[in-house]
Amino acid sequence: MTTLPERYAYMVWMREFELACLEGVPTHEVHGELHLGIGQEAIAAGIAGVLRADDALVSTHRNHLHAIAKGVDMRAMLAEIFERSTGLCGGFGGHMHLFDPSLKFSATGIVGAGLPVAVGHAYAARLRGSDAVAVAVVGDGAVNSGGFHESMNMAGAMRLPVIVVVENNEWAISVPFHLTSATDTVAERASAWGAVGVRVDGNDVVAVASAFQDAVARARSGQGPSIVEATCYRFRGHFEGDSDLYRTEQEKEAHRAQDPLLITHRRLVASGLSTDEVLSKQYAEIRAAVQDLLASVRADPLPDASTARDHVFVASTLEAR
Amino acid sequence: MRRNLNVSQCVAEALRLEMARDPSVVVLGEDVGRHGGVFGATRGLQKTFGADRVLDTPISETAITGMAVGLALDGFRPVAELMFVDFIGVCLDQVFNAIAKNHYMTGGRVRMPIVIKTAGGCIGSGAQHSQCLWGLFAHLPGLKVVTPSNPYDAKGLMASAVESDDPVVYIEHKGLLLTRAEDFTFGADVPEERYTVPIGAACVVRPGDDVSLVTLSGTVLPSLAAAEQMASRGTSVEVIDLRSVVPLDIATIIASVARTGRLLIVDEDYLSFGLSGEIVTRVIEELGPNALRQVRRLAVPDVPIPGALSLERAVVPNLASILMALEQMSNAS
Ligand SMILES: Cc1ncc(C[n+]2csc(CCOP(=O)(O)OP(=O)(O)O)c2C)c(N)n1
Repeated sequence: MTTLPERYAYMVWMREFELACLEGVPTHEVHGELHLGIGQEAIAAGIAGVLRADDALVSTHRNHLHAIAKGVDMRAMLAEIFERSTGLCGGFGGHMHLFDPSLKFSATGIVGAGLPVAVGHAYAARLRGSDAVAVAVVGDGAVNSGGFHESMNMAGAMRLPVIVVVENNEWAISVPFHLTSATDTVAERASAWGAVGVRVDGNDVVAVASAFQDAVARARSGQGPSIVEATCYRFRGHFEGDSDLYRTEQEKEAHRAQDPLLITHRRLVASGLSTDEVLSKQYAEIRAAVQDLLASVRADPLPDASTARDHVFVASTLEAR
Repeated sequence: MRRNLNVSQCVAEALRLEMARDPSVVVLGEDVGRHGGVFGATRGLQKTFGADRVLDTPISETAITGMAVGLALDGFRPVAELMFVDFIGVCLDQVFNAIAKNHYMTGGRVRMPIVIKTAGGCIGSGAQHSQCLWGLFAHLPGLKVVTPSNPYDAKGLMASAVESDDPVVYIEHKGLLLTRAEDFTFGADVPEERYTVPIGAACVVRPGDDVSLVTLSGTVLPSLAAAEQMASRGTSVEVIDLRSVVPLDIATIIASVARTGRLLIVDEDYLSFGLSGEIVTRVIEELGPNALRQVRRLAVPDVPIPGALSLERAVVPNLASILMALEQMSNAS
């Protein structure tokens, strides 16, 4: 069982990891639309420590925190995001496409494309006679894609061990959830697919962990799919460079005051599990460790341009046209 | 006085003029309304024309493109935005089984005056957010495919696309959308009033005598820069901007190649089974197999676009690789 102090530490690693990624934008070390999960750490930290290595997790364009929760090596992640040859995928993928097959972690930049893949993992577990489960983390925008409905229906019809974690941060780029969903919540749609649906405060890491553990337990014991909808807020623009004028400053301020790291920090102190002093010291240590990672990644080489045509096919020397 | 608009603003201006003159024009897609498009190419339209005519949709591309079919069958002229062309994977069905075919399948009784407005091109975003895919659309009979390279054409071609009674896939280049008129060496002056640029007419953006360089969209600017440099080294390069892939203005290409005998095609789409091969074949069909002294194709060499920019640069045509190709052609002749 992951303890609350451990979950808090995860959250700090996640926050600092994202801040390290952010450093690569003005320096042009990181290109393309970088999507950060700052403000949403309590959800990934609630997932952390619950899954086994043989459980699958399929993530989104905003995937770094989920990879950390699955135990993907942070140095290799950071190197991939910083486009180094030492990256998780040698620089071929980039920040939107982190894959770690050894941990059954993958991500996609196509909104709504993750859940069908999780259903495939769940079916693979059934074919093997394994009790492994498959998790898809999706945004509130993805739940309106056709693939989401198709996949939920199959998971329900086949009673597959699928858990959907919906990070409902209210906004899909500039479009608010309440204007695009026929239902007020995603959780309430679950009954249409024979799934269990729960909605929790995604700033409350304990609430997320508890709902997620229950869903995983149901899936593992053959009771079919669940939707865990966790409400949250993304603190930054949709991507680094987004003008983010569609949300008022007032709204943003109000949500920043509900920083899940602060909430968890206060909770640890109030419950006597830790002290301000211990927590600030720990924060500083984690920050220093991430900065060390960043410095070492920055010393890594860029991919060799002459390899750019490798990996199109398995035997890349073969001109398989 | 030159208006220093960026390409997105030119697109928005064209849509505004079309919507004002034709009440049947509606815009739908993700983030097109309140936000005015992720690149600003529909900015201000919702304020002027209301949320019904400029509809923010859920992330539901199958419904967006399918709705466009229904709207067109019902007498509207929908401009359906697919934020990035890569997302066509989600909804190709409506595009190639309905939008492209309905006119034909009904023996001409039904028209599909639909614009699929989308953005392609490489800007360091990896395999799923960098493709051009005009060759894919061009392969499917029934779709016109438009690929503007400059502010003037962006506005005029959008007007033609909306006005067209045939479906038009209008592919913006992400690298150009936020580029301002002053950074263009051609097509920088954009009139305020409505005008059209005909779909299917290529443009000779730089005349020349030694090599015919045929290109489009985001590679026109670097091709012009390369031509400029080659001129100082004694090689005269004619640069042709296709402006549309379907219809392909083969006559303009033929007229050029018939003079130069040397053809370089620069295409940011994938190399094989696509635009560049099509052009070479048509030139040979038209002029005969001996008409060309040299042929080169510079395109993405059949690899997905890599994540790291350092790898992307190795496979996507750019000023350096265009120059190198021209130099090699010049040295070999
Ligand atoms: C099929 C598809 N359509 C559109 C996009 C462009 N896009 C990327 S992220 C995004 C919004 C996603 O919102 P949500 O699912 O709520 O996740 P969040 O960004 O809030 O984490 C959109 C529209 C895409 N990547 N894929």
